[in-house]
Order: sequence, then C-alpha cells, then structure tokens
Amino acid sequence: MRLTLIILITTLLQVRATALAQHITIHKKDVTLKYALKEVRRQSGFNLFYDGKIITDKQKIDVDIDHVTINQALEVILRNTGLKYEMKGSNIAITKSQTRPSKPIILGEMAQIVITGLVLDESRKPLVDATVQVKHGEKVTKTNADGRFYLDGIRDGETLVISFVGYGNREISAAKDLGAIQLIPLDKTVDEVQVIGYGSESKRFSVGAVSSVSAETIERQPVTNPLSALQGQVAGLAVTPSNGVPGSTVMLQVRGQNTLGTTLQAKPYDQPLFIIDGVPFAPQNVNINLLNNLATAQSYNGGISQPTGLSPFNSINPKDIESISILKDAAATSIYGSQGANGVVLITTKKGQAGETKLDVSVNTQFNSAAKPVRFLNTQQYLQLRREAYTADGLSPSDDPGDYNGFAPDLMLYDQDKYTDWAAIIAGKMTNNTDVHATLSGGSPSTTFLISGGYTQSNYNYPGNFSDKRMTFHSALNNTSSDQRFKLGLVADYGYDRNTSARYGGAQSMVLPPNLPDLIDDSGALVWNYKGIPLNVENFYGSLMRPVYLQNYNFNGSLHLSYTLLPGLTLGTNAGYSRNNSIERSENPARSQDPTFAEASAAFGDNVNQSINIEPQLNYEFYTGKGEWTALVGGTYRKMSNDAYQVEGYGYANDNFLGSIIGASTTYPSERKNLFKYIAGFARLKYIHDHKYILEVSGRRDGSSNFGPGRQFGNFGSAGGGWIFSEEAAIKKNLPLLSYGKLSASYGTTGGDASKAYSYQALYQNISGVLPFQNVRPTYAYNLYNPNFSWSTKRSLNVAMDIGLYGNALNLNATYYRNRQGDQLVDMPLPAQTGFPVVFGNLDALVQNQGWEFTIESTNVKKENFSWNSTFNITFNRNKLLDFPDLASSSYASKYIIGQPTSIIMGYRYKGVNPETGLYEFYDKDGNATHTPKAGNANTGGDQVPIGHMDVKYMGGLANNLSYKNWGLFIFCQFSSSYSPNYLAALYSTDYPGGPTNQPSEILGRYWKNPGDHSLLQRLGSSYASGSLYTIPPFTQSEAVYGDNTYLRIKTVSLSYTFPEKLLQKIGVSTGNIYMNGQNLLTFTNYKVGDPEQPGTFTALPLQRIVALGVNLKF
Amino acid sequence: MLTLCQLFSCEKLIELDGNPPTYITNQQLFADSATVMSAVAGVYSYSQSRGFGFSDANLTIATGLSSDELSVVDNNSYFAQFYSYTLTPWSSGIIGLWNYPYQAIYRVNDILEGVTGNPRISESLAKQITGEMKVVRALYYFYLVNQFGGVPLVTSTDFEHNAKLPRSSVETIYTYIRTDLQDAVNNLSADYPSAGRVRPNRYTAKALLSKVNLYLGDWQMAYDEADDIIVSPLYSFADVPLRAVFLEESEEAIWQLPVKTSYRQTDEAQTFIPNSGAVPRYLVTSFLLDQFENGDQRLLEWIGETTVNDTHYRYPYKYKNKSASEVPTENYMIFRLGEMILTRAEAAAHLNNLDQAIKDINVVRKRAGLLEIPMDERSQEDVLDAVMKERQTELCFEWGNRWFDLKRNVTDASSASTVLHTHKSGYKPTSNLYPIPQAQRDLNNLLEQNKGYN
Repeated sequence: MRLTLIILITTLLQVRATALAQHITIHKKDVTLKYALKEVRRQSGFNLFYDGKIITDKQKIDVDIDHVTINQALEVILRNTGLKYEMKGSNIAITKSQTRPSKPIILGEMAQIVITGLVLDESRKPLVDATVQVKHGEKVTKTNADGRFYLDGIRDGETLVISFVGYGNREISAAKDLGAIQLIPLDKTVDEVQVIGYGSESKRFSVGAVSSVSAETIERQPVTNPLSALQGQVAGLAVTPSNGVPGSTVMLQVRGQNTLGTTLQAKPYDQPLFIIDGVPFAPQNVNINLLNNLATAQSYNGGISQPTGLSPFNSINPKDIESISILKDAAATSIYGSQGANGVVLITTKKGQAGETKLDVSVNTQFNSAAKPVRFLNTQQYLQLRREAYTADGLSPSDDPGDYNGFAPDLMLYDQDKYTDWAAIIAGKMTNNTDVHATLSGGSPSTTFLISGGYTQSNYNYPGNFSDKRMTFHSALNNTSSDQRFKLGLVADYGYDRNTSARYGGAQSMVLPPNLPDLIDDSGALVWNYKGIPLNVENFYGSLMRPVYLQNYNFNGSLHLSYTLLPGLTLGTNAGYSRNNSIERSENPARSQDPTFAEASAAFGDNVNQSINIEPQLNYEFYTGKGEWTALVGGTYRKMSNDAYQVEGYGYANDNFLGSIIGASTTYPSERKNLFKYIAGFARLKYIHDHKYILEVSGRRDGSSNFGPGRQFGNFGSAGGGWIFSEEAAIKKNLPLLSYGKLSASYGTTGGDASKAYSYQALYQNISGVLPFQNVRPTYAYNLYNPNFSWSTKRSLNVAMDIGLYGNALNLNATYYRNRQGDQLVDMPLPAQTGFPVVFGNLDALVQNQGWEFTIESTNVKKENFSWNSTFNITFNRNKLLDFPDLASSSYASKYIIGQPTSIIMGYRYKGVNPETGLYEFYDKDGNATHTPKAGNANTGGDQVPIGHMDVKYMGGLANNLSYKNWGLFIFCQFSSSYSPNYLAALYSTDYPGGPTNQPSEILGRYWKNPGDHSLLQRLGSSYASGSLYTIPPFTQSEAVYGDNTYLRIKTVSLSYTFPEKLLQKIGVSTGNIYMNGQNLLTFTNYKVGDPEQPGTFTALPLQRIVALGVNLKF
Repeated sequence: MLTLCQLFSCEKLIELDGNPPTYITNQQLFADSATVMSAVAGVYSYSQSRGFGFSDANLTIATGLSSDELSVVDNNSYFAQFYSYTLTPWSSGIIGLWNYPYQAIYRVNDILEGVTGNPRISESLAKQITGEMKVVRALYYFYLVNQFGGVPLVTSTDFEHNAKLPRSSVETIYTYIRTDLQDAVNNLSADYPSAGRVRPNRYTAKALLSKVNLYLGDWQMAYDEADDIIVSPLYSFADVPLRAVFLEESEEAIWQLPVKTSYRQTDEAQTFIPNSGAVPRYLVTSFLLDQFENGDQRLLEWIGETTVNDTHYRYPYKYKNKSASEVPTENYMIFRLGEMILTRAEAAAHLNNLDQAIKDINVVRKRAGLLEIPMDERSQEDVLDAVMKERQTELCFEWGNRWFDLKRNVTDASSASTVLHTHKSGYKPTSNLYPIPQAQRDLNNLLEQNKGYN
C-alpha cells in the first residue's frame, strides 16, 4: 500500500526531464541510506522508487564518490545492503535483490549479440507479424513474410517473449540462432481472453461468472439493436423485446428480478449497468424519447414496468462491436460496487489490427414481415357474432342513439357487406430495409487505426411514410511507444438516428369493426361521423397524419492512457465522455383532427444524457516463484446528468407552422434535470499459483450524491477462488480424457442505488400545462418526504465447474448461483389516500434468485473441408421472496407471499363456463363454485389465491455452426418456457366478444350458446347493458387467462458462401462472401393467437421476421 | 484508498446544489408569503386530472349517468357502467373520482402544516390560508362521502400513518367537514381575498356548510347559513340572466374557478357540446326533459339541441364555450346563489315554513320564465316535491346534485328507489354508493368494500 502511495506521489511530482547530470559526488560518513539515495536523486534528476519498508533509518553507510556515473554511484551505495536497482528511462526502482526471479538488465558485462529465428504455427507454416519482444526490455520486432525475425543488441540468455494472436505466448532464452520456434494455438474456448471490469483475463483463470458474445455471433443476426443479438446467447441473460416498431427498446435482465415492484400490476424488470469501452453509457437502457410515438403507443410493453419507447442502443451499430461481456456474479461485478447489483454489460468496440490497410464492405437488403400475424373475423363472421350477442342479451339492436341498450350502428347503420382487414392494413405490409457498412483498418505494429461507417434504414410495416434511419461512425486509434511503455487508445464514435413515426395510433386499431365506414373519403379528407353518428374510434388515418420526428445524436468517446513505470507496473487512466441527445418534434395538425374543434398543436423535446468518467488505475503484475500476481488499484470520478426540456405549443394559425415553436400562441414548457455524482476507490488482487490455484479478492468503496448526508458511502467486496484440477498430476495420469477442469467459487456483495437524484428531500415543482392562477405560477408537491434511504445490498454466491474433454473438443460449464438482495431500495406503492402513488425508500425485504446455468460447447467435426461446432446453453432461475417483515400490513400484502416468487399471480381458481348459465365460474377460497368471487387475498377474506408465477422456468439457446468448403451455415434456436398471459387475457383487455370491436377468428364456435354447451368462452355480451359482463373482471384475474408458454424459435439462420480467392484476386478483392441471414424464421410453440414473445396481446405491432440478403467484400 | 479519499475530500466531489433547478425544497417553499401563495395556487389551478380534482367533468358525467339526467350513446364506453349500474371495483371510471381528491387533500394538508406556527408567514395570511384550505378540504370530503360513503380521513402528510388508515364512518367524515367549515367561517372574512370569486370567503364556507347541514337534515342550520348568504348584498339572482349565470363576471357566483387555458374553456363544454352535424355523446334523458314545464327558459338556455338526420338530440349546455377564443369567458361554478335559495326553500319546508319555501321556489321559477306557484294550501310533502323538482331543473348537470338528491330520499316521490326503478333498469339500493377501486383495496387491505360489490 505504501509503495503504491510513494509511487503515486512521486509520479505526480515527476515532470522534470532527465538532465543526465551523470556526475555524482558524495563525500559523507555515517549517513543514512535514505539520505544517500536522496542525494543521488537530487544530483541526477532521476526518479527513485522504493518501498519504505526495505530501507530504514537505521541503515547507515559511508559514501565517498567523486564524479561518477549514476550506475557507479548506485553500485557503491547499495553494496552490501541486499538491495538492487533497475533502471528504466529516468526511473530507478530499488528492490530487494532476492525477490526478483529475472536477472537485472543493466549489468553491461554480457556480450551483446544478434539473434535470428523463425516462428511457425502448429502445422509448421511460417507465422507472419508475430511479435518478438525482450521480456523486461524495450526491444521488439515482428516476423517478416517468411516468419523470420532479427534482433540485435540482445544479451545472451535474456528472455524473449514471442506472441501471436490466437496462440499461446512462448518464452525462450536468447541465443544467436534460435532456429524454428513453434507456437501452440490457444484453445478458443478455454484460453479465450474476455473483457472484464477494468481489464481482461483468460477464461482459463477466471473465477467470476462472465459470458462473452463475439462479433461473429452478433454480425450474423440482421438486427439493428445490438441488444437483440444477445437473445438466447448467454446463460442467465433474459432479453425482452418490447414490440416490432423499428428502434424500439429491448430489455435485458441478468439472473432474475432482484427488486420488488413499484406497482402491483406491471412486472418490474431490473436492468444491468451498461458500459461501452469503459465509459458508462449515458442514457443506459432508458428510452430516449420524451414525446409519444408509435413505439410508446403500443398497448403492450412486455408486461413490464419500464417505460418503452425508442432505444438508445439503436444509435450503436452492431457491426462496430467486437464483444459484449455479461458480468453476472459478485466476483465480476463487486468492482462496480453500488452500480453492479443487476449485473454489468460491457460493450467493447472494434479496434484496428496491424498490417496492410484493409477495406471491408458489407451491404445487405432485408425483407420484413410480421413474425406471427393474427387472423381476425371477417365482416360476415363479425356481424353474426354481434347479432348473437344481442340475442343472448335479450335485446334488439337499434339505430336510435337514444336507445341506450340497443344502439348498434355497426348492425343497423353501417354497410353490411363492407370489409376492411385492419390487421392487414396495419401490420401486413412487407418492408424493405437496407444496411451498408464499411470498415477501413490497418496500421503499423506501433500504431493501428480503424474507421467505419454504417447506414441502416428500417421501414415500418405500419402504413405511412415512417422509417428509422441510422448513420454510425466508429473510429479507434491505438499507439504504443517504441519502448512499449506508453500506450494510448482513443475511441470516438458518433451515431445519428432519425426516427419518423406517428404521434399515436398504433396497432390497437386492428380490432376496429371490419365493416366500419370509410375513415377517409374519396378526396382524402378524414371522416368523423357516419350519417351524423360519431365514429367512436380514433381515426386511424388521422393518426397517420400526426408525424413525430426524433433525431438522436450519440457520441461515445474514450481515451485510455497508460505508462509502464517499472516492469509489470503500469499507471493508466481511462477517461471518457458519453453524450446522447434526442431532439424531437411532434405535430398535431388541424387537418388530422375533427374540423369542428381542430386545434393545431406541436410539441418539441430535447433530451440530453451525459456521463463523464475518469478512472485512474495502477496495475501491477509480478511473479513470486510459481505465483503470478495481478493487482489493480483505481479510483472513479463520475458525473451523469439528464436534462430534458419539452415544450408544447398550441394555437397555431396554420398547420404549416408546426415545424417551429414560434408559431404557437401559447407554449407550455416543462423540464427535468437530474444530476448524479459518484466517486469510488476500488482494488483487485488476483493470485494464480502454479497454473492451478486461483485466488481473487476485489472491493470498492463508493459514494453517491443520490443519498442524503451521512448515507452516501458504502463498501462492497468479493472473494473468489478456483482450482484447475486438471493440472494435478494424478488427474492427468488417470483421466487422460480430461483436458481441462476447473472448480471455482465466489461470494460477495454489490449494491443498488436505484439512480434517483435528489429524492431524499421534499421537493416542489412548478407544473407546466396550466395557466398562472391569478398571475401566480402554481407549485405542487413532487414527492413524499422520506430522507432515510440508502443502498440496497445484494449478496451473491457463485459456484462453477468447467470441464474440457477430448482436447477441449467438448467443453461443459455448470454454474450454480444464489443472489439475495435486501434493504430493497424501491418506489414503494402507496394507496392513493396518501396523495401519492409511491414513496422512494428502503424496504426490509429479501429477494432471492437462485439457479443453474449450463453451457456446452462442442466441436463435433473438424476436418479440412468440413467442420461443425455446436453451443448450447440453458438456464433455470428460481425467484423467491425470502423475507418481508410486516408484509401483511404493507401495501404489498395482496401481491407477495413469503416463500413464493415475486412474480406470483394472485387470482381466482377457474372452474369453467357453467353449462347452464353460460357464464364463467370460479372457485371461492373454500372450493365452492361462484360467478362472483370476492376480491382480495384469501387471508383477508377474499377468494384470490396464488395461481402461478410468471418467472421464466427455463430458457436458452442452441447454435450449430457448419462449414463445408466455401459454404457456411449457422442455425441458432432460442427457447423459453414460462407461465404467462394467454390470448384470452387480451380478448377482454379493452372489450369483450360480442361488443363492437373485432376479435381473433380463433374464438369462432368456442363460446357458449345454449344450455348444456361446454365451451371455452362464456356467452356473448353486446354492451354494458348486458347482464353477462360482471364475470369478466374475475375471469381476467383467474387461471383461465394464463397458460404454459413454451416456444422454440429459429432465431437466426445464416447461410454464406465465400468466393474462391483466385476469382476475387482478378477484381482486386482479397476475400468476399455472399450471405442470407434470417431472423425469427420459424416458431414452434403451444402459444395460440399472437407471438409467444408478446404474450397476452394480439394488438401490439408484431415482432418481425427478417430475411436479409447481402454481400461482404474485403479489399 | 481511504487516504486517497481524504486527500481529495470525497464528500465535496459528490456534493450537489441545495436543490435541482426544477424543484424547490419544503423549507424554500414555506420561506415567505409569496412562495406559499404559489402552493395555494397549486390547489386551485386547473389542469386535466392534475389540479382541482373535480374540474374534469367526470363527476358531472358519472353522476348524470347514475341519476336520470344523462344517457351515453356509446354503450361500450366505460362510462356506460354508471348508467347501467354495472360498475365493478375494477371499473376505470371510478379511479379518478377516488384518487384525485386525495391528491388535492395532500396538498391542502401540506399547506396547512407549512403555514401553521410558521414564523415566516404573517399571522393574518396564515389565518386566511388556513380558512381557504379548510373549505377546500371539506369540499373534497363532502364529495367523497357522497359518492363512496365513509372514506379514510387523512388530515396530515405522514404517509406511513395515512397509508394504513381504514375507512372512517360517514358520521366521522361529516363531523370533520363541519369542524373544518366552522373554522373556515371563523377564519375568513366576508371579502374575497383576491380579485373575482375564485378563492373562498366566509360565504363560501357557509354555502358548503349549508349544503352539508341540508344533507344531514339539520334544517335550521341549513336555513340560517343559506339565509346569511342570500341576504348578503354581494350576490344577486333575479337580475342575472340565465345565459350569464356561468360567466366569469357572474354576480350569482359564490365560488367559481377560472379554468380557461390557452385553447379551451370548461371541460363540461368540451365534453357535452357535439361536433357540428354529429350526435352528442351524452344525451339528456327524456325523463329530465319532461320535467321542464312549457315555457321554461332553462330548457332553451341550458339544454342544447342538435338535429341529425331529422332527429333532435338534446345535450347539456350550461357551459357554452369550448374554445378559448369564444367570449365571454366562463368560469367553472362551484357554488351559486340559486342553489342556496333552493337550499333555504327545502330547509324552510322541512321546518314547516312553507310560505318561505314557496317564495324561494318562485324566485327561481320567475327567473326561468315560469309562472309562480300559488301560496295555497299545500302539504309539506307537496312543497318538498316542488323543491325537488325545481332543484332537478335548476341544478341539473351541476356537481352531482341530482344524484345526491335522489339518494337523500327527501320525499317518496323524489327518492332514488321510486324514480330510478321507474325510469331505468338495473338500479339496486346498493348502487347508491360507487365501489371502492379494487386497486386501492389491494394497496390497503383495511379498506372495506361497499355492499353489493365483490
């Protein structure tokens, strides 16, 4: 620790150039060693580093030197002290001479030689561009086109390190002619280097639960949102798309839901922390739009409580991503302290490779259509249903609006033969998308660069001129100084997304009556009533005339600087800035509205998310005998802000002024400002002994401005260990099949600060949208006063076993985890009588997620012309509310049960349709049949009991990757099983069969008509005048509207053909291929009517089936 | 790391300004009279579903449909459930009727706590504000208790306490309302505290107190409070033409709120006035139309008529201006003298002062262009029926008066059980109270449901 401090401080002070005052003179007797060294430093201008412990004030020496070099001076001073020195540039490190296994470099006595050698791969072919480096020196070279290298000025016996990407490093003693040196390829699955928090590590020695998804996997999927590409790829990671609107949000969740919900209705959904190239992504995974658009207008948001809308990740091109790492357990996330509780997603963008400058161009065109379209009744079927409903109610349809019970314009006034297939109009369109991406990269061994640009256009299969267009620019520059000590990495990314959408409307209009009169007349004008009867529907074509434009500008920049102070000791800084800005305009022209009261209005939004992140770090790697140590100490300063400004303008004189706020006669501004400041110190120490035993501890202390005074700081930490038992001699001998085996475990804590600024104060705000009351701007209370909240704490246990068989042709991973999150920091729901729907604070409840994850990677066939690999993962997560003191008297009493999952559904047990009454029947808590069960939990006198839970029972993915000669085929299937709402839930969500809205044709012949009928659905009801609707609320809260939802989806099929090189060379192309990528091609499911990924609705804009045809050329 | 932290002084690095730019803190709000007034304005100000809890027309629609005033053309809309008495605890129509008053009551309680004993607010201002807020709170509780029966009595901002309050009895709520109003009467002066009649004065408190006493059957008190207002020179009735009753400058107004925004006026006008050539969404029932005698000017002035396909449709038309540009400006009326006159009439009839009752009825009839009813021998029951009929035609579509009058069972002929059984189907005595929203019962299992709902 003190060494670190001394080094840090010395470095901070050190700016002075080395004046090379090499003449040192000291004539002193009986001075302390420290004094002598200080004198050397003063006279030479060199920096001296040493650990305070190894030099004490008791060590006295006599020094008598005159005009000697610094080397000579140090030799004299350190003689007989058991200390040695090492010199690096103008830095001198003094250490105990016996602790360092390698020899000191600066001896000057050994002869300098010229060495030569040849580097070969496993099949004895020359390796071009392999790096040959002096282990503790500055000399470095690369192999030439024949795999040969030359280095001069090397001392005999010095250690050389030879490295090449994808191959294990080889260390060798320097000699004149080294001959052929063969490198051994790394095992891809076991030795793969993966990005982790503040560094990277070989999977072989990892003790944390980290999964990585490579660029290769991401690129095969024709998706625009990089998060979509993760679905099914990673054990323990759930991916939930919100709807089929281009650019809409995609939610991620790592290892289940840890926190309790904010409302009793929607399912909460914890989101992990997102970091791109070391910088927290400013908007995180929160929708970037302030104004309503088609993405927010969908009736379905995945059943989860997060607001949906347009995704910030839409401004990041999946093709610019090198890898995405998902950090799942405390060993991996503790270093993120209070922000790591829900897991961490690290996105690393592509960097250049040294070599010839290459141009890589990829172009594809995509065809999109609804993945699982829903069929609705045609006019005849619909009208028949309506008539039957009136008969069932004993009412006669009437054309008199004053006849409350019978008024049925669809039966009595509208054209009985007109037929409009609204579902086909709204989501039946096949769209054509375009994606172009080009990368230029290359560089010398010391400097590499990469720049890339992409253009993606996604069209809506919603009618109208709507689209999402994206332009992205990615650049990376890396430089290493010639002495290999100073490194620089710069990434600058810019993304621009333009989403054109409609203000509202959306797919709900699919259920408009099929014989609804024309909503638009021959002249193109909107129609608002039919023969004077108002069409009590949102005019679908009116909604198409209310455009919303969103322009998103996304900048991610990061700078990484590091300097190797001493061999193994590197001081570095990561600094980054992320800024995401959305500018929106929403127009509501008078011509889109009912002319009798048309009011042209427009709204404008400006939403800026920023994060600044500075993280100085000190890394130290050293060796003790068979031990390998890696230490990291660092600090974080972070500032994240959200500034959202919105203004609504009313009273425009002309629709054509709507592009600007200037034309509005009245404006209503509103504003939101959040600021979050964060500071932390963190450390990690890892020790690997003999390539067998691994020990790792990490910790973070952090402080957040989100908490009130005295509650800002918290400590988090973890410890983990691993044992690579396959390295044990006995196992090697007795189990030759076993090529790799590791047992690892970790335990630790992370925290959650729920990212809510200023909430510890009682706040009041001026409310927009109202005129001043007698010239006074009104103020309202914004929140309830509850200052005493602090971190939630998660304790995680992770135990994993990794097995590699048959020379790692088959790799298996089994992981058990158990997470417990306590001191829940949530928006607790409150009854309205308190004046507020929620209060933010800690809740003494403990939620546990435990589960198993299995991953199998297998190389089935590996021949020259044919290879076949498979990967498979499956996750079983079980969520449970472990403890909740005072649950019974809390506002959660009706929602949760201790010992049950937090997604538990409290509802009625369902008996069926009573064959005599034709109405739904339920069981009360005593098991008696009733049409009118009592609301509320059984324990408070109601009839609701636990009827199931909505946690995913299991999920996973299966990938097969085949290649035959020039052909490649990748097939990826994703599957999931849960108990979820079925389409019956949606039948009654806005209406009911028999009412004046359309229904899926699935219900035909499935409703009760006559006594004695046994049917799925109860008798029809024509309107609220029907006596049959009182059973609907209990029905929609009963078992009947839930069911098993298990599906296997052929998520991705990618077929590619690589052109023969000879053919390409003629046209100046080095490699090239054509491909066909398909997404959501085929689904096997027991889920009826609609998409199993959008359960409980059939009126959301459907997820898309995409077929992309493309070509990829490298020049 | 600790050392490093001390070196840089970590607390400083995560320090924020005292308040975010878009919010102020409680201490800053109650620091002086001017900012306190902005919180008071927050209680009165109008915005859809956010400010004054009753100004979104939903109370008028719901009670109009539940009584015999209105029907709804779209029998598929959730408001239809009020008409057909098919409300359930999950009906969306009742959510706002329950939630918005409590939002407002929080604001009132917060202001009361903020000004009480606050040395930075002058005593006279604190007294004035306290009086006003108590009128507002009493108004909210009065409408809650008449729609839902006994409700949780929330009198502070302590959410931990308030979240677990069960329903108080109807009597407890009324006792609290009366105490609030009595305090308000004592605190407020006869003059309005600001321009117009938009913030309560003493008579406003008395108007509500009179109404409360009428509902509770304390006839003498109802009479006295109404009488005080009627004799005050501040208010006129006979001289206010029917078409000027709801205007901003109305001299009949005891309390009215400015609701005009930059582009619209009352939500009532927005809701009820049909688009040209279209059938209104809410139709005035034939039962109500039949109550208007021949020559009743109120039928012409306050009930609109539109003709579509040769059929006449009638709709509420007390508020006539939809858009901001229409003149003159209409304010949203909470209490007016006409109601007080009929309150005094009813109280007088109950007190067997039938002459006074008939006189009052005739004042109202006269303005409506109707013949006075003779002061001949009539039974108390007859006079009360006459008052109720006059209330039905004079106070229609205002503040649920008709629905509450039916439920009060003033006379057999004008009681809900008689009227609604005759006119409509589906009515049950338990329909008198709306269900407590089940979502609220889920959040507070001490809330008992009203009879007749599951």
